[in-house]
Amino acid sequence: MSHRTQTSWFADHGPLRVMVLLATIAITLLWAEAALAHAVTLGDKGYIQEITGPQIIPFLYLGAKHMVTGYDHILFLFGVIFFLYGMKEIGIYVTLFAIGHSTTMLAGVWFNFGINSYIIDAIIGFSVVYKALDNLGAFQRWFGVQPNTKAATLIFGFLHGFGLSSKILDYDISPDGLLVNLLAFNVGVEIGQLTALAAILVFMNRWRAMPAFGRQAYTVNVIMMGLGFYLMGFQLIGLAMA
Amino acid sequence: MQQRFDIGRAAQTPLRAERAPGPQTSMHDQAGHVRGVEATSGGLIRSTVISGAAALAVLTIFYLPAEYGVDATGLGGMLGLTEMGQIKQQLFDEAAADDAAAAAAPVITLDPAVTARLDRMEAQLLAIGAIIGAPAIDLPAPAFESAPAEELVVVEPEPQPAPEPVATESVPESAPAVEDTEANPVPAAEAAAIEPAVEAAVAEAITSEWRDQVNYTLAPGEGIEVKLVMQEGQTARFEWTANGAVVNYDTHGDGSGQKISYDTGRGVPEQAGELTAAFTGNHGWFWRNRTDAPVTMSLRTAGDYAEMKAP
Repeated sequence: MSHRTQTSWFADHGPLRVMVLLATIAITLLWAEAALAHAVTLGDKGYIQEITGPQIIPFLYLGAKHMVTGYDHILFLFGVIFFLYGMKEIGIYVTLFAIGHSTTMLAGVWFNFGINSYIIDAIIGFSVVYKALDNLGAFQRWFGVQPNTKAATLIFGFLHGFGLSSKILDYDISPDGLLVNLLAFNVGVEIGQLTALAAILVFMNRWRAMPAFGRQAYTVNVIMMGLGFYLMGFQLIGLAMA
Repeated sequence: MQQRFDIGRAAQTPLRAERAPGPQTSMHDQAGHVRGVEATSGGLIRSTVISGAAALAVLTIFYLPAEYGVDATGLGGMLGLTEMGQIKQQLFDEAAADDAAAAAAPVITLDPAVTARLDRMEAQLLAIGAIIGAPAIDLPAPAFESAPAEELVVVEPEPQPAPEPVATESVPESAPAVEDTEANPVPAAEAAAIEPAVEAAVAEAITSEWRDQVNYTLAPGEGIEVKLVMQEGQTARFEWTANGAVVNYDTHGDGSGQKISYDTGRGVPEQAGELTAAFTGNHGWFWRNRTDAPVTMSLRTAGDYAEMKAP
């Protein structure tokens, strides 16, 4: 066991040793690049994909956020209460809408039934167009019939719920704590809806007290219909370009 | 005293129309609430067409050029929006291309036979190093990028430079040299003392049930990725554990221009199994500690793979 032993070994195998090291370094560098390829999702979706187990407050927040920032839901809600007066009347329609979207949201996620997000969001855009036409009395003028407004609210509630469930499924939510998280999300949606509703009512209340409301109601519903068409087009373009 | 913002009473607030009932029309109910609008069938059709056309105009003139660079009307180009959309699309495409390039990065896979020989040499080196008191060499450490070469130069005896040029050509060409090593090991007279230790080290390196083992401690929120360099169809055995804690994992691979996710899980304590490479590339695990305490990860692997790439 002399120093010479070591040197002679290295003399014999030094070049190979260098090659091994270079190859290792090269692979390490390549690997460092490959490490970046690990798919990462950002934002709410990224968060949901990372967590597991019951997370009540976070899902309450996400549900409320989705509703308050979801202009499609708010536009529809705005259309629904446009000509409604009194807490009882408004309460009935808002409850119908809530029952509708809660049912399909929970069932859709639970049974893993999702619809293409672009398609369901285009349908939600259509619900805005429908409600605007309904407010304008177009169905009565054109077809001589007034479709049941409560049934329409419930049915569009179902469709809005599919929009929500498709989004949650797209989030790849963990099965662990699913029910609790879904219910929290749902409660959050209702909180968000009531928050949005409160803001709408404050505005509507003052507006409807003005004599101009009767005149402006027509124009506003036409604008709302245009926004509904815009939402539809927006989603259909997304579908075509995806 | 008038509570304008009292939501609870919002809807009951008397309307102006109620206080001073104007002409009672079909748009007002008996309470004076506005319940609809005055409209004609033709007027409604016109309004519907106008609102639809307005939406279409905004989408085609502004939205499509600004987001997708699609300019059907030519106005987007005049407004400078088409350029915005084109740049956005270009950036998206480049990001996608970067991802693809990262996945397609060439992967060096060594012949398993060569790898086995290298492993034996590695073990011998370590054993020799341990006996002569030289510091152990941690191969994958990036710090070694330049140091090892110099170290080799230092210890290399001057009088014996002859064999180098041939052997440095390439790994395959140096293979015969390896055979030589096995046929003519270190001269017995000189190596007698270290022989048992080397044998033991070599034996352990070769016969150990597991080829590689790594341990990491992940702080809360920390993630780590360990991959095996594999050729298509190769199968490696693995066993990992969070040692009593749980981690999120993503068993995945990339290379040869492809990406794959074999399996993902959240809050999993451990896993054992086999990983078969779907294509030639790097296949392995990404773990992340989403608990609020540090987690110690242990991974052991064996089977067909060229090399473990661990940080």
